Parts: sequence; C-alpha cells; structure tokens
Amino acid sequence: MSSEAKFNFVKLWAWLSAMFIFPLIWVGGLVTTHDAGMAVPDWPGTYGYNLFLYPISTWLYGPFDLLIEHGHRLLGSWVGLLVIFLCISAWATEARRWYRWASVGLLAAVIAQGLLGGFRVVLDERTIAMVHGCGGPLVFAYASFLAFASSSDWKHAWPSIAPKGLWRLSWVLLGASVTQLVLGAQLRHALPSTTPVGFMSMVHLHLTFAGVVTAAILGVWFLVRRNPYRTEPRLKVPANALAGLLVVQLALGIGTWMANYALPWSETAPSLARYVISAKGYWESMLVTAHQATGSLLIAFSTWLICRVGRRQISLVQNPNSFTIPQDASIVGTARETQTTVGQPVSAI
Amino acid sequence: MNRSAVARLSAAWLSSFVGLSLLVGCGPSKLEYRPNDLHAASLTREGSDQDPRAVAKKTSALIEQWFGTLDEPKWPAETLGADLEAVRMDSVSRCAGPVGRGVDKVERGVFRKHCVSCHGLTGDGLGAAAMLVEPYPRDFRRGTFKFKSTPVGKKPTRQDIHRTLYEGIPGTAMPSFRAIDESKEFAHDIDDLVEYVRFLAIRGEVERRVMAAYVREGVELDPDSGRLKELLAQVVQKWAASESDAIEIPEPPAYISSAAGDLAIGIDGIDNGQHVELMKKGQSLFESELTACVKCHGKTGAGDGASQDYDEWTKDWTILAGIDPKQSKDWKEMKPFGALKPVLAKPRNFHWGAYHGGKSPSEIFKRIVLGIEGTPMPPVARAQNGNPGLSDEELWELVYYVMHLEERS
Repeated sequence: MSSEAKFNFVKLWAWLSAMFIFPLIWVGGLVTTHDAGMAVPDWPGTYGYNLFLYPISTWLYGPFDLLIEHGHRLLGSWVGLLVIFLCISAWATEARRWYRWASVGLLAAVIAQGLLGGFRVVLDERTIAMVHGCGGPLVFAYASFLAFASSSDWKHAWPSIAPKGLWRLSWVLLGASVTQLVLGAQLRHALPSTTPVGFMSMVHLHLTFAGVVTAAILGVWFLVRRNPYRTEPRLKVPANALAGLLVVQLALGIGTWMANYALPWSETAPSLARYVISAKGYWESMLVTAHQATGSLLIAFSTWLICRVGRRQISLVQNPNSFTIPQDASIVGTARETQTTVGQPVSAI
Repeated sequence: MNRSAVARLSAAWLSSFVGLSLLVGCGPSKLEYRPNDLHAASLTREGSDQDPRAVAKKTSALIEQWFGTLDEPKWPAETLGADLEAVRMDSVSRCAGPVGRGVDKVERGVFRKHCVSCHGLTGDGLGAAAMLVEPYPRDFRRGTFKFKSTPVGKKPTRQDIHRTLYEGIPGTAMPSFRAIDESKEFAHDIDDLVEYVRFLAIRGEVERRVMAAYVREGVELDPDSGRLKELLAQVVQKWAASESDAIEIPEPPAYISSAAGDLAIGIDGIDNGQHVELMKKGQSLFESELTACVKCHGKTGAGDGASQDYDEWTKDWTILAGIDPKQSKDWKEMKPFGALKPVLAKPRNFHWGAYHGGKSPSEIFKRIVLGIEGTPMPPVARAQNGNPGLSDEELWELVYYVMHLEERS
C-alpha cells in the first residue's frame, strides 16, 4: 500500500483538534458571559477533587456557573489530549519537518492556555482572564491552520494565480480580526475599576475595527469575483464564507449591544421602548457569546483564506513556469503571465 | 519552521508569562471605593479654596472607618447603637467582594457580577458602560430613588427596589433579574442585592452629608464628632423607617383590571358609552392646570410637551454649583471629577405603553400621586385630610385615560 493510500491520522487529529477548540471557545465565552470564572475556586483540582474524578452529579446538576466552568476545564483537557494525539501522529507519519514542530507548538499553546486559565483562578485575576480570552481564538486559528495544512488542497495545490492584492488584503483582514478580538475581549473583561471614558474609547475602537474588517471582507469578496478569478472555487468558497460570517457577525454585534446596553434610540419605536433586557437570560447570553465565538470563526476563516491564497503564491514562487488559468479567463499580460504550462503539485512543502 | 524558530516561540511564551506576572502582580488587585470627587468639586466651587480631591479623599477615609472597604464592608454599629440597623449585613457581605464561590460553594460578589459594569463599584453610576446607556445608570449615593411607594423625601421600601430589579426598566439598560430569581441556586440574589443597594445608598449619602458639613460648617472629620454622628444617624433612621413610609393604594374601581403587570384594561361590564365618558373625564384631568400633565407629556401624551428639564442628579453638580448645564464649556469644567454630559430628562411617551416604573394600574397610580423623585415629574395633589387635590376616583380616571393612550395610538 502506498503512503498516499494510508489513512491520514494527522489530518484526523488536526481537524478534530480544531473542531473541538471551537465549542471550547463557546463554553469559555459562556463562562465570561455568566462571570463564572471563579465558580470553582481551586485549580487544577475542582473543590479538592481531581479534575476528572469530580462527581458528575455534583457538577452536571449543580449551579449553572459551576457546570460551565468545570465543563470548560474538562473540554480543555479533551482538546489537550487530541493535540497530543496530533503530535504523536505527526512525528510518526508526517514528512514535513515544519509541520511536526508546528504540532508541538500547538501543544505548547494549548498548555499555555490551560495554565493561563489556571492562574486566572489561583490568582483571582481578571486581567489574566482577558489574556486567556484573547489567547483562545488565536489557538483556534493556529489549530485551523494545521488542519488546513493537512488538507488535500494544501498538499496538492496546483500553482495558480491569486488576484492582485488578495494576499496582502488577506493579511490585513487577519490582523484586523485579531485586533477586533482583543478589543472585544477588553470590553467583555472590563475590570470593575475601568472608567467610563476608557471603556468608551475601547467601544469606539471596536466599532472602527468593525468597519475595517467589513471593508477588508468586502474587498476580498469583490477581488475573487473579478476576471479571471471568478471561476476559481478554491478562493471563492472562503471569500463567500467570510461574507456570510460578516453578515451574521454584524447582526450579532447589534444584538449584543441591545442585550447589554439597550439601543440609544429605543424611544423611537414601541417594540424597542418596551423591550426589557433579561439579565443572564438565555437569548441574551447566547447572543453575546455567539458574537464572541463568531469573531473567533472570522479569524479561523481568515487563516483559511490566507492558506488558500498563500499556498498558490508559494507554489507560484517555487514553480514560476507552472500555473493554471481558469479556462474562461481573458486576461491580458506578459508572455510569462499567460503561459499555461501545467504545473506539478507541490506536496513536499 | 526550524528548531531555532520553535525555540524563539517558546522563549516568547516564557517572556509573556514573566511579563504577565509582573503586570498583574502576585494576587488580585486591590479595589477601593471611589471618593465622591464630583460632589466635593460642586461644594468647593464657590466660596471655598479647598482642593476638591483632597476633600473627597479625606471624607472617604472617614467613611471607611464606619462602613469598611469594598471587600470587607461593615456596619457602624458602635457609633449608631445595636438597635439602629437599616440593612442585613449577611446579605451585604455576600454581595461585596470579588465574584466567585468559596470552598463552601456559596456565591459571593453578586453586586460585581450583575451591577458593577453600569453602577460602578461605589454605586456612583460611573461603571465602565455608564456613557453608553441612556438614561445614565443611577448614582445611589444621593439616596434618591425614582420608582417607589413612599412620598418625596422618603426612602424606598425593600419591595420597591426589589420590583425594579425583578421587572427591569423597559427601553433602558436596566435588565430584569427575573430569570435569576426563578433559578434555585440564585434565588436569594435579588434580596441580597436590595440590601447592598441600600448599604451603598446609605454609605454614599452619609459621605455627601459629612462632606457638606466639613466644607460648609467647618466640622472636623473626626468619627467621634457629635455633629457627624448625628448626620450618620439621620440618614440611617430614614432608611430604617422606609417600610412604614409606604402609602396605601386604594382598590381600583371595577373598570380597571388590578391584575399586576397586565396593561390590558379589564372592561368589566362597562359599555362603550361608559368608556367614552371615562376617557372624557380623564382627558379633562390630563389637560387641567391641576395636574399640568401636558406641560411635559404634551397634549396627546406623546412626551412632546414644551417643558424640558434636567434631573436632580444633574442639577446637583450644575445648577446648584452655579454651572449652566446647557453650556458645554461650563459643565466640562466638572468632567475631570466624573461628570457625564448633562442630558435632559425625557417625559414618557404614553402611546407606547412603556412605563419605566411599572405598567400595572397601581404603579401608574403611584407615579401620579407620588411623582418620580429626582426627576421633573412632580406628585399630583391628592385630596386627603381636607387638603385640596384630586380625589381617588379622579386619580383612577386619570390612570384609565393614560393607559388608554396606548390603545388609542
């Protein structure tokens, strides 16, 4: 059996890791929404028990804040285990050296996140909670990157042309999304001593970067629709997904504002004037948490786009004479640009 | 990625940890009550050369001796005597301090969990989100509460504060804590928060009065000062008596449904002719000089009357301190002390049926006869004990009319 036909465990663990980090972020978001970070006052144990031996009935049917905090810890442990499996399989089967070390890097990042969460409890320090909250989505993006790098698109990417400016714009989008996440975390984890002026400045920055992210996604969306790239599904799919997420995220952002502060123009419509926010209500909590989780998805999807675009860029750099052009493309360029030699997949990178 | 890159990455993580440890120190950061700089600035603005911040800080230090710290609140029982107690300190202790559960699994820091982002640690209405919400979060330190069942000048009952927490305030950032109240594990949260709000209000009002005595009367900031002890006792006595200050609401007539929280009017056996008659009477009262409702709420009740004014929290540091709240260069002088941009109090638009103080007929009755303390909404004179004013029958007719403005619109 050839190595190509073997089951790809690296891909399995990489995707499972990324897929389980997302719900971990959700539950972590719920912990923040319900201010449940100190619902379990000790760490690494839970009320004196070993984390894994804490009686299930006590936390499953106990107070909600204890349920989500302990659940977050258990889910974090599970993710740690998945990443260990990823490391083992990467070092056992993965040919790419950088990938093997990157998997170790992911494990280090997951451990660091766990330690941050632990320090937040032991020191009862909200600043660490904020750093922990920012770190989660970055680890998610990192895990997503390893998942994308284990995909067939990465391994068998045919050199192609990426739209001019898309590579840079993708990075701008990633940078803006990460900044937006950090700003959002500042708002979510605002310290009790935060001044109204300081908080307002953060809100203004958050809104400004919402504009930057929106503009970047729209830019990406339009770029991949221009000739000759509009028939390139490998670029269109992440661009469309980002545009869809943007719509969802903007709606969730407005919902989050309403669930936290009510609308400043509530006196303009009867339904808004009558709306009473429900403190820790189900829908309010879900809206706010979903806004944060979708922000994480935006970062992961930006990473996905960068992988798709960058992979083609790298292929092109390494095989300058080997790229494909969509069949219906009608581009005008230099002789070299229009050369259509069928290239080789660059699976060794 | 090569080995050296990974080593650099690990070093970066390690540096981050070291940096973080230095940044946050070795334990939870110490939080303190915020001194009432704004009131000190207001008091010292004219006729005093004292530094407002120094005045506020000195006063706050004295108040700490009586009421303790944010994490360890206490009651000035030694000064007041054991009999005079206006709050339940076990509830206050559970609400104070950082959020979390102890090893006994009892939840603590309930105020920080639910209230601090708007009302601030000190209950000064200067929480992080204060500038985002309209109206601004309530500053408890004035000891003034809007929606209550006691007359102007009297303190709200526990039930009044409980009602606001339970129902929330429609169209504003003040949420309803009904969901929390209905869950078994948090069932005591609202009751405990009521006690903590009372505690913060008492503490804040004592702070204001002591500060005023210090600036205006020259009383020394000594916890053994007879004058200061007297001020402390006056404030506490008012709060201790609040339960007995509540007025009794008469039974509504049959044509008004008394179902609490139900805006739908129960027209029990009244025909259209009686309805029209009631509306006519109500409208006549609404437009009369005696009630003067139209001045603020407008002829149609859309909240578009000619009269516009600020609330007492704003006037406290503007008009009373000789500052014109309409002039931004004037009021901005107080911004460094915690002043937020003055905003006019908005009269309610009855067409939408969104009543901040509750939408049941009895709550609307209370708003009419008691007014909304701290706002331009005055109480309507009630004919009682030989005093001229509206009879209870007329008041219910006015309630009926106001409630039907929504239906009519």
